[in-house]
Amino acid sequence: MFIRPISCLIPDFVSVPTPNFKIVLVRAVVLGTFCTVFCTVFVTMVCAADELLPPADNAAQISGFLQDKWEAAEMQPAAASSDRTFVRRAYLDLVGRIPTVGEASNYLADGRSDKREQLVRVLLHSEDYVQHFADTFDTLLMGRGSSKDYDERIKHQWRAYLERVFRDNRPWNEVVNEILLARPEKQEDRGAVWFLFERQDKYQQIAEAVAPAFFGVRIECAQCHDHMMAAEIEQAHYWGLTAFFNRSKNVHTKNGPRVSESAIGGFSDFANLEGDSSPNVLTFLSAMQIEEARPKPDEKQDDSDDLYDTASVEHDPRVPRFSRREKFVSEIAEDHPLIARAFVNRVWAMLLGRGIVHPFDEMDSVHTPSHPELLDYLAEDFRKSNYDIRRLVNSIVLCRSYGLQSNRSDGMDDESLFAWGLERQLTAEQFARSAQLAVRGKFQNDEPLIGKVRQTLTAVLPDESVTTIKDALFLTNNKALNDFIKGSNLPDHLIPRLVAFDSNSQRAELLFETVFCRSATSAESGAVEVYLQGHDDTLTQRLQQVVWAMLTSAEFRFNH
Amino acid sequence: MLFEVGQVEFSNGPDRTSAETPSQKSQGQIHVADFNMQPTNQNSSDCGSPEHDLHRRLFLQGTMAAGAASVASFSGLFSIPAIAEETKRQGKKCILLWLCGAPSQFETWDPKPGTATGGPFGAIDTSIAGVQISSLMPQCATMMDKLAVIRSMKTEPTEHFQGIDVLTRGDAPRPPFTRPLLGSVVAEQLGQLDSPVPQFILLDPCPEGNEFKQFKAGNWAGWLGAEYGPVRAGGEYSIPDILKPDTISETDHADREALRKFFSRKFENDQRSKSAASYNAAFERVNGLMSCAPLFDLNELPADDRRRYGGGAFSQHALQARHLIENGSTFVMVANGMPWDNHVFQHEMHQMLVPELDNVLFQLVHDLEDRGLLDDTLVIAMGEFGRTPWLNEARGRDHYSKAWSLAMAGAGIKGGVVYGATDEYGREVVDGELENRRLFATIFSALGIEPHEEYDLPGLPTFYRVEDDAQPVSEILV
Repeated sequence: MFIRPISCLIPDFVSVPTPNFKIVLVRAVVLGTFCTVFCTVFVTMVCAADELLPPADNAAQISGFLQDKWEAAEMQPAAASSDRTFVRRAYLDLVGRIPTVGEASNYLADGRSDKREQLVRVLLHSEDYVQHFADTFDTLLMGRGSSKDYDERIKHQWRAYLERVFRDNRPWNEVVNEILLARPEKQEDRGAVWFLFERQDKYQQIAEAVAPAFFGVRIECAQCHDHMMAAEIEQAHYWGLTAFFNRSKNVHTKNGPRVSESAIGGFSDFANLEGDSSPNVLTFLSAMQIEEARPKPDEKQDDSDDLYDTASVEHDPRVPRFSRREKFVSEIAEDHPLIARAFVNRVWAMLLGRGIVHPFDEMDSVHTPSHPELLDYLAEDFRKSNYDIRRLVNSIVLCRSYGLQSNRSDGMDDESLFAWGLERQLTAEQFARSAQLAVRGKFQNDEPLIGKVRQTLTAVLPDESVTTIKDALFLTNNKALNDFIKGSNLPDHLIPRLVAFDSNSQRAELLFETVFCRSATSAESGAVEVYLQGHDDTLTQRLQQVVWAMLTSAEFRFNH
Repeated sequence: MLFEVGQVEFSNGPDRTSAETPSQKSQGQIHVADFNMQPTNQNSSDCGSPEHDLHRRLFLQGTMAAGAASVASFSGLFSIPAIAEETKRQGKKCILLWLCGAPSQFETWDPKPGTATGGPFGAIDTSIAGVQISSLMPQCATMMDKLAVIRSMKTEPTEHFQGIDVLTRGDAPRPPFTRPLLGSVVAEQLGQLDSPVPQFILLDPCPEGNEFKQFKAGNWAGWLGAEYGPVRAGGEYSIPDILKPDTISETDHADREALRKFFSRKFENDQRSKSAASYNAAFERVNGLMSCAPLFDLNELPADDRRRYGGGAFSQHALQARHLIENGSTFVMVANGMPWDNHVFQHEMHQMLVPELDNVLFQLVHDLEDRGLLDDTLVIAMGEFGRTPWLNEARGRDHYSKAWSLAMAGAGIKGGVVYGATDEYGREVVDGELENRRLFATIFSALGIEPHEEYDLPGLPTFYRVEDDAQPVSEILV
């Protein structure tokens, strides 16, 4: 069995993280204006290099890296966003929905100097945070599915498992290991098997999912040949990663779905474009090969009982003594630098609109980071914090780029500078939850609208924000949204409340506060008033149309 | 009546007359001065298409290629070629009658009456002296002067999946990249930039079809990208959400869209947002697409035409193909599952299928000619191979790719030509042997598309639209 030092695990294209205090030292010298802040940090870091900064200070570190790039590019970032903009943005990002009128005005009225920190802390400890992150990671790890797929994910506890990850703030590396090993010891973790189980013994599909989900790299094209541009992704890695899983088999046990593993088989050769063939040895990225006796071409392997141990959980499938999945977890995934780098880059992309490496799941030698030191810093900090997800999110949300205005001024074109707030299309869940909140004043996570919207508006963290005709047709004509608006007719719903008002200007005001989380300009208010004018006997229908026009306008559709 | 207050036009109360067309109503005017917005280029667009504005803007920004690709990614609904290509457009179009399952050459274009392999049906004279075709095709016999028939096809694959791949893409797979379908290439090369009508449409009512079903689940547009894949319609298939909900009137629908556009454009301009620009552009396309929804409704077609084409789905969809081509589509592929694969009761099945094909082809070619469209529209009727000269024990003909036939008419094609020949039993090609590459070189040439264009994909050997410098068959080209 091959054991190697940790440094060998680092692929060639990942620069070795610089220890924190060195970065801080350089920064303190370079940035006179930030001297006070950073000298304090510097002292802290030197005194206790392994101690973690509180999120706000961590955010200041992050801001420093961003500032460096702005100065190098001789440009001024956009101004800080208003509190109104910030509160909508933070609610959408952290709890997956717009704020209510009450929540927004509470925040605006908050006079504390650290009100942003306070808000972020409260949101990150709410159940809505759990639901929103479980939604997002469900899509990132599993992809969109049919409504039956979603039912199965709930039934077999995958959803509950994901929720627990975020509710209990489980260390991400432990989560990765549990999902890849798929041998839950505890009843409450049983949903972890579903990542492999849903892929139904399709080993290439599993490999193609594992690489981007946990390592932030795409390997599909290495099925037929070494990656054409990212030389470190070899065809051998595609088939090696496949081999780590190709002895697995879905089984139904008394404990529910499990993924068993055989002790034999899973040997094959793969051919490159020139027709040369090679054996599928156990290897991934630049990790060394894991040794395993390979039978001769005609040799028959005996699947004898002494190749297995009994599972530690009663009724679970027996466990091979040499387990490829276990090897993958212990020899490849454990402490692999890409696990942390991929995660921080992805969370960065969720919150800032694009990855430090973009696209976020192509962290190969072709796609270089816009801020290499920042990526190193975040990944190292994440590892040191024991893969603390909540802390990572908290730190990023408090950094300077997150709080910038989203309207781009002249000359600002380079998105990779994070010099203005990049708009992000709401996910189906964010959209449908926010629409409920706007139209009904409350939301339910099992509202059918969510299920219908996510069958069409499937994108989560797209490489570029593109609206398809299909999306626009759905929003325009599909019954789901139209009937939802029409069915929002209880006295405490928005439209009946608007009908009860005396004037169209009052109606316009509440509409804008509720749907767009801001007050209307006089022109906008005028447009709504004109729209409603002369329609007294069909006021409800006209209001439904205004609500539709607002919900389907770009302002609602994006987080900005 | 429209009245204008401030900047947005809406209908004037519930009692408005319905004299205005929806397109008039939906043009909510936004006055630049009132809102301090950027000009929206509304006046510079001759045909009213938002794409002109969009493309011009992107072009000026120097991001044409990337920008066009992203706005064109409408999940395969449209193909919007780059502006540089526009100059090459010749207005040529194509209808592929895809005879999936593979028809018998003996019962269509290459009868061998009175021989051991010829089967029970006779051969009849045609409008071209000395040329006979199956007696199951009396109508086509009267217009042989318009058709080019190839009797000497000889191709490799003998199974459907591989055969379909080769005869719809022009060549066998060459991993790792997937060659685009004929329809994708034609839509990309000849597609109309400013048409709201989808440029590549597959009319196929049948969700099943064995290997064809498997094929339909695969990658259509290959290296051209998903936006050049077909829009699927026919039977149960339709463009989702293309119809306005019943619960709202035309007027209100147009009004609320004008209001949506007002809010949304304001946001796009205030933010200088590229994402919102793509978003708004998609809604502009929706308005165009909804306006062509009737093109997909068989009931909108003239009753006389529907009767002439005949009752089956294949016939009706051939008519619909004509209608779509007349209205701006570039490539329509008509299929009907995989009905031609008659391993059992070949003669009985072909006795039903061939007369339908005979009529459809006759009607289609004549209709196109009557409308002055035949010179610009190529019609191809073919399957993925032919059928065995001998019968199997179930009185079926099995797969046979060594000697089979197909027919073409229209754009770029010389009528009245029979190319190639088989021996007296139809077992071997004895003259003019033709494989798929030369066939596709011929099809591309007929449509004015360069057959040997290179596709350079990073790090791979060069791909060509047609490999091996295979030459078109000049004998059947005008």
